[in-house]
Amino acid sequence: MDELTSVFIQESREQLAEMEAGLLVLEQSPDDPGNGELINAIFRAAHTVKGASGVVECHFIENFMHKVENVLDRLRNGEIPVSGGLASLLLKCGDHLTTLIGVLEAGLPEPAPADQATGDALLAELSERYLASAAAGDTAVSLRDSESGEVMASGGGIVVTDSWHISVRFGRDVLRGGMDPLSFLRFLGSLGEILAIETISDAMPAAAEMDPESCYLGFEIRLQTRASKADIERVFDFVREDCELRILPPNSKLTDYLKLIEALPEDDMRLGEILVRSGALTQAELDEGLNAQRDEAPLASADNPPHIGEILVDNKVVQKELVDAAVGKQSRIQDKKAVEARLIRVQADKLDQLIDLVGEMVIAGASANLLARRSGKAELVESTSVLSRLVESIRDAALQLRMVQIGETFNRFNRVVRDVAKELGKEIDLVINGADTELDKSVVEKIGDPLMHLVRNSVDHGIEAASVRAQNGKNVRGQIELNAFHDSGSIVIQVRDDGGGLPKSKIRSKAIERGLIQAEQSLSDQDVINLIFEPGFSTADQVTNISGRGVGMDVVRRNIQSLRGSIDVSSEEGIGTTFTIRLPLTLAIIDGFLVGVGRAAYVIPLDMVVECIELDSHGVDRDFLNLRGEVLPFIRLRALFELPDDAPPRENVVVVHYGGQKAGIVVDQLMGEFQTVIKPLSSMFSHLRGIGGSTILGTGDVALILDVQALVQRNSRIEEKTLNQASLARAS
Amino acid sequence: MGQLVQRQSGAADAALAATAAPQQYLTFSLAGEMFAVAILNVKEIIEFGNLTEIPMTPPFIRGVINLRGAVVPVIDLASRFGGKPASVARRTCIVIVELEEDDVKHDIGVMVDAVSEVLEVARSDIEPPPAFGARIRADFISGMGKINGKFVIILNVAKALSASEIAQLTKLGDPDNASEASA
Repeated sequence: MDELTSVFIQESREQLAEMEAGLLVLEQSPDDPGNGELINAIFRAAHTVKGASGVVECHFIENFMHKVENVLDRLRNGEIPVSGGLASLLLKCGDHLTTLIGVLEAGLPEPAPADQATGDALLAELSERYLASAAAGDTAVSLRDSESGEVMASGGGIVVTDSWHISVRFGRDVLRGGMDPLSFLRFLGSLGEILAIETISDAMPAAAEMDPESCYLGFEIRLQTRASKADIERVFDFVREDCELRILPPNSKLTDYLKLIEALPEDDMRLGEILVRSGALTQAELDEGLNAQRDEAPLASADNPPHIGEILVDNKVVQKELVDAAVGKQSRIQDKKAVEARLIRVQADKLDQLIDLVGEMVIAGASANLLARRSGKAELVESTSVLSRLVESIRDAALQLRMVQIGETFNRFNRVVRDVAKELGKEIDLVINGADTELDKSVVEKIGDPLMHLVRNSVDHGIEAASVRAQNGKNVRGQIELNAFHDSGSIVIQVRDDGGGLPKSKIRSKAIERGLIQAEQSLSDQDVINLIFEPGFSTADQVTNISGRGVGMDVVRRNIQSLRGSIDVSSEEGIGTTFTIRLPLTLAIIDGFLVGVGRAAYVIPLDMVVECIELDSHGVDRDFLNLRGEVLPFIRLRALFELPDDAPPRENVVVVHYGGQKAGIVVDQLMGEFQTVIKPLSSMFSHLRGIGGSTILGTGDVALILDVQALVQRNSRIEEKTLNQASLARAS
Repeated sequence: MGQLVQRQSGAADAALAATAAPQQYLTFSLAGEMFAVAILNVKEIIEFGNLTEIPMTPPFIRGVINLRGAVVPVIDLASRFGGKPASVARRTCIVIVELEEDDVKHDIGVMVDAVSEVLEVARSDIEPPPAFGARIRADFISGMGKINGKFVIILNVAKALSASEIAQLTKLGDPDNASEASA
């Protein structure tokens, strides 16, 4: 796919998102008097997509958007009223456009018949309900013209050709400058197919006056190509100063052709004929245009030369408002351009590559640091420490490049909530908090699907039907909240609903039915709720498409765990359910705290570390200690990892906090802070809990990154199990 | 060597050629027995050392090494086949094998007692694996190569080193997960 098309696809998606956001608001409050600007924004987005699709020559999108744009245009001009029905229909059109963009992205020449049929049906509905009245209307607007193709061509609209028109007049000195006009034409031919070419020799003087070293020629060319205007211009780069070049893109307005004819030195009629002969215009189009010009000329000649725009307005080819709107739009677009100019589009993989390189640099820097310290040379140590400080800044800056706001992901759910709620006949508001919270792009991309699942679940199962809500004395409109905020080095995302909560007794009986728990087993309420994350709890066994419904929460949990994150649920029957997802800010490089156990080194994410204390081993039998009057349970890594060698006489405790809890981790050695480049472990360790990844130390050795939360959970489960076994053994 | 490089460069060609031309195999010893793997799977052979053990994994996962910036797991094949864990000796090395699983390429290190040589074995000299008696799971064996009048087990590395299977084994062998299952 060429670059132009991929840019088009990306930008269209952005425009589409904008359109969708606007339509959703419109649907909610169709009568708001302040909707004018909103409709304008929607129209602009649709128009941009249409225009751009023409540039990339994607005609199926162009044709579709043309109709949509027409309807939006009428809406903008107040010819049709804003209604919820129209907004939903337009939303469907937006969906179809998404499909079409997908088709273009897949490189297919045209959409599949089924998609085509959907599009046709939508267009038919649009025409019938919102365009048909236009034909009956009194003003001769271009919309009516568009209904019958023939008229449109002779109106003020578009000359339907799929080829570029190039007019070139070479300067007198071209030959003297060592350029051969013919070579440019040949090069032009390499861009695409030259459909027609006419030589213009009008400038040629009589033979006696002719200077054989001067060039008098010009050409009218029709070129069929996928190249951009800039590419075509580039062909003539060498003679740019020295020639007159005019390029009309495919499907240019008739007026543009007229302007071209006017601007060129040759006789208008003759040029017109040439254009007709080369197939750029039809005779009818030409006559129409030239007649219009001639009719207007005597009137206007009194004061000013006729202005094409005015001619068109007077002829009612274009409405006055439309012209005004176009001017207004241009200025707005310029404003927007000014903002955009401060942004650069960078391909994501280039950024990834940069981050990788920074990661390697961090590792190399650590090794240089180590060697410098070993050498004992003070100057060397100093210069490497300056270097490593710089590396740290570069690392932070590079990671910052990949940070994006989560708002865009959240906003997608406006639509999801609306659609699903409508389908189920529920009324639900979506409240978004903390949309400007930033996190790594790679995390954002992967969190979309699990979130989608949670939100759909909340709409589907969480929020009760309106009648039930009314009965329970709740507001009939349900509410779903999406919250995001930072908390001790991780980002927390919450999906909260004010629905019925998770039915504990139902979950319990289902878990028993599925053999996950024994009927007589006693579980705390929280344990019962957590059963929904168990594999095999949900009915579906497909694990692929998790954005669909009926797929288990275990898939959600697994996806989040694969991002080194965790998910918790709290629920109160009758009040609502909250899912809390905790994710690391980045998947690439973190600040770590290096500790040693036995011969191995481990990394604890620095953000989790509160303090370090020495373990007073006197009479310590149980695994908790007194931290300034607080009971602090701790885990012994040596025991948990089943290392064979004995503990050294002095051990240390690293106090960590996670998710509002505190715990101690007993290690042999404290080795200090360490910039940790996260290297993923092989997929064969995907089921390993407690180890979050690996990193490479300055010495070249591999160190493992601890997943503190998982370790603590593991420890408590193992403890519980041994206790159970012990009590069983005693009972028997 | 030139020939070797050529073959590796065109994996598709190699697959075609494999049906007809003799293939090259790397032979190595493991607990006193000879084994072979197709040379196309072998990326490099490195000295044993600088291994970082991974806790809470089955004993046949010896740990991970730093292979020029990539963290590569190392498998003890003798232990994988149900034998005793290999002890580290002077000639112990790690054979880095490249595997493709679920369309993802990854490297796995295989700990062997000693690497012997690269041999060419004709198709006709490869017998199907015996139904039993090899004391190794039949699907780990891709064939029995006749080398110097002796049979050498040619390993099906894709099966023997399948990451997904090892991941499952890691899960099952874990007391934590086991407790979950029994609860």
